[in-house]
Amino acid sequence: MKRRHPIGGVTCLLSATALMFAAAGAALGHHSFSAEFTAEATATMTGTVTQVWFRNPHVRYLFSVRREDGVEEEWDARGSPVVWLARKGWTKDSIKVGDTVTFYGYLGRDGRKMLSIMTVTLDDGTVLIDRVPEDAPSESDDY
Amino acid sequence: MITRLACLPAALLVAMTARADAEDFEGQWTLTLTDAKRELVGLLEIEKHGEEWRAFLEGGPARVEIDDQRIVLWADSRDVRGFVFDRRMEGSLAGGTISGRYEQEGAAAQRESGGPWRAERYEPALPDSETPKPFEISGTWTATQALDFRKYTMALTPAGEEWLEGYMPYYDQPDVRCASIGLPALATYTFPFEVIASENRLTFLYEYQEKVRRVWMDGRQPSDYMPPSRMGHSNGRWKGNTLVIDTTNLERTVRDFRGELISENARIEERYTLSDDGSTLTAVITVYDPEYYERPPVRRRQWKRDDGAEIFPYTCDPDSFYISMFEEGEMEMYIERADRRF
Repeated sequence: MKRRHPIGGVTCLLSATALMFAAAGAALGHHSFSAEFTAEATATMTGTVTQVWFRNPHVRYLFSVRREDGVEEEWDARGSPVVWLARKGWTKDSIKVGDTVTFYGYLGRDGRKMLSIMTVTLDDGTVLIDRVPEDAPSESDDY
Repeated sequence: MITRLACLPAALLVAMTARADAEDFEGQWTLTLTDAKRELVGLLEIEKHGEEWRAFLEGGPARVEIDDQRIVLWADSRDVRGFVFDRRMEGSLAGGTISGRYEQEGAAAQRESGGPWRAERYEPALPDSETPKPFEISGTWTATQALDFRKYTMALTPAGEEWLEGYMPYYDQPDVRCASIGLPALATYTFPFEVIASENRLTFLYEYQEKVRRVWMDGRQPSDYMPPSRMGHSNGRWKGNTLVIDTTNLERTVRDFRGELISENARIEERYTLSDDGSTLTAVITVYDPEYYERPPVRRRQWKRDDGAEIFPYTCDPDSFYISMFEEGEMEMYIERADRRF
């Protein structure tokens, strides 16, 4: 029996967020910022999950996205430590390989195809909340 | 000549006013800032060097502009998503108190509503009574988000600045690869912990990285052969109703989320107090390390007693960290930066 976090009211947040793709093909040099992600740009992206790491220090989901021109892109979504998600009922079984889900999060810097997860919407409409800006955060630091 | 004489009182008055201003703003203040969700508290130090004003919050530099009785302060901070932003505090001094409003400036994952702030003259606490008055610290504690400014830049020595040049937290912080983050960072993380008091020690069981910490209450020192470590050697004592923990025998490692160093000669002081109703534990955590810091950096934490809380297991596996670097073609770069890691 899956435990899911029944939170409403998040869909408006999702629809209000512009779908943004960072400039692809930017040079992937060394990261020169303290964070891998940028607070200025968020994205909402639907794709198929291809790999799951439900582990500390951070969970990670790889997912493939079909662009408008038909090209498949692989994206990398990173979330909080397992202990943080587990307290909300978000388990290793909540998102599985092959699931079609919608990630909402901060974009990677320098055009990296990465998302720092705020929420994930499952195909049945369930919204899993990692962290949203309206939350007071309560977990370890991201780097 | 007459004109000059006539001007003299005015010039004197200006000089006196200027001096009075300096006396008014200069010194140590307790800064309290309130947004819609929480209250932050920090030590604000304002100094005048020649014509230049300098300010420091929690031991780190803050930009300051002072004009007569008006003041604007910018103190940087880093939210848990790694985004650095400023809190801009504008206010005025009247009746010995500075007060005004603050706004968050810059993009951050953790948005603040802005709100009032005030600074009162810092009153050093009365010397702690030497008579121990221990409080009940046994139990499980869960963090609140109150108090801590999470000041970003600190007043580093040239050696401290030199280290930070080119430091990349995502690659270099110990805990991204599941290595021990150690103290003082562990004490500032907001995962729950449990404390068990026994005859000669307090045992802290931290959820984060499943760390066990022994705080010796009997004054014992480590043996000559005890290797220094990231958790160090902790001695605790009750000074009145404050639990003071000193930690030494530390390894050279990073202090905090920014990757600033602490040396093996660092001393960490934690001062824990309990609210009168027994529900709220507060810590002021100060690092004394003149090798890397011009001023001691300060963090503040607060926890609520929550004996129903569970300490979750924290199995950590750096697999995805390394695979991700491999996929990005970064392994060579990572190996080359081995001198940035501990």
